[in-house]
Amino acid sequence: MEKALADWLAGGGDRIGEIAIARGPAGWELRHAEDAGRADLTAHAQPEAARHLANLDAAGNFRPLKTAPTLVRGWRLLLADLAAVRRALDYFYPAMTGVWLSHTRGELVPVVLRATLGRQTGMYRVTQKLTDPQARELIDRVCAGCLKHRLWEIATTNPSSPAFPAGNLPLLCHEACNLLVAQAREVVKKAERAA
Amino acid sequence: MLSKPDSALVIVGHGSTVNPDSSAPTFDHAETLLARGVFGEVHCAFWKEEPSFRQVLHMVGRDDIYVVPNFISEGYFTKTVIPRELELDGALTRRGGRVIKYCEPVGNDARMTELLLRRAADIAPGVDPAQTSLFIVGHGTNLNDNSAAAAKREVERIAALGLYAEVRSAYMEEEPLISKWDEYSTQPNVVVVPFFISDGLHSYEDIPVLLGIASASPGAASAGGREVFQHNPYHLRGRTLFYASAIGTEPLFADVILEQVAAFDAVHAA
Repeated sequence: MEKALADWLAGGGDRIGEIAIARGPAGWELRHAEDAGRADLTAHAQPEAARHLANLDAAGNFRPLKTAPTLVRGWRLLLADLAAVRRALDYFYPAMTGVWLSHTRGELVPVVLRATLGRQTGMYRVTQKLTDPQARELIDRVCAGCLKHRLWEIATTNPSSPAFPAGNLPLLCHEACNLLVAQAREVVKKAERAA
Repeated sequence: MLSKPDSALVIVGHGSTVNPDSSAPTFDHAETLLARGVFGEVHCAFWKEEPSFRQVLHMVGRDDIYVVPNFISEGYFTKTVIPRELELDGALTRRGGRVIKYCEPVGNDARMTELLLRRAADIAPGVDPAQTSLFIVGHGTNLNDNSAAAAKREVERIAALGLYAEVRSAYMEEEPLISKWDEYSTQPNVVVVPFFISDGLHSYEDIPVLLGIASASPGAASAGGREVFQHNPYHLRGRTLFYASAIGTEPLFADVILEQVAAFDAVHAA
């Protein structure tokens, strides 16, 4: 994983989601991309600081979806090596470096929404009643607040290439998350109540 | 001592979409174990947070992978959800050159008794157990879960030691209800330990309200939640009551996770 990160950085990679990555005073420096050039940032030196920086948005709300475009600003993270960078990125954008690496190796299998909902049990089994129009509205609404590129559609995989600028490590979504499945349940329940 | 530099450990938890404290102990135990260097890699995964069960195996670079559920009991999550989402064949899954070893949940560990006793002693220092009623509180519902049975099992083990005058299980949503703690206890001192994997709405707000040491106020589970553990002891209903945080926040859970790995190897002769 660290080798893949090193190759990506050597090839001009400098951005993942809202985070800019650059050579630092002794290793690597991560900061919010919109904090470029700022000299008043709070410095952290441990990758675990990323866990706490990623937890809450600027208003103090919990961020269960780490790829929501709501990462706090005002910090910089100074890391000694790529192992530490990788650990920090796993807190900022969980699994995204690993998912990207699987994608580049051709090992990432997108799962369409119908398959994800089809295997749900318990309280989420009801999501199998979600209609196509409801699913469309749900995806447009929920996924609009996420920086990932969807590789799946309702019943087909999404053939469009990830539209990330050069230097950006693609954030890839190969399957609907539980946040969306939980919202699907709400949509079905609401429709049932209205009927 | 366990040393598995060529193996990865994945700790799986429930997580929450509303409260970071739900996943916090799982992350804490993972950081503890990573720092000890027992495994080549340590990762977490969650049902309600990221990384998800569907994402986590992409994070793992090693081919020998131990999966330990950070759950109190066997039940719906350990038997149905986790195996389904990780596409496991059973205790041992071989896929694409990888071996995935699915361990027992932490709550099954024999040391759980010791940890509950330790937590009970820590929360009420200098209080004589012979004059104390100890409550182990589980969720208890029809959630297709065995958390009530797990609490009951621990109560039997602790009671058999004869340290406490009384040891009882109680639940939030089924009899015996924790709200009737004063009816179920006869001793002047009462110690209450939530048998939960993490703090959150239940330990910050629901149980305190049922105990009568907090008033119902939506949102108490936010930032100020931990305060409820800082005002011990509580004097009410003619007793002295000590209320502990969830057992899963105990740092020794990291060792219990390791024991699940060792137990897997013992059974499956690694």
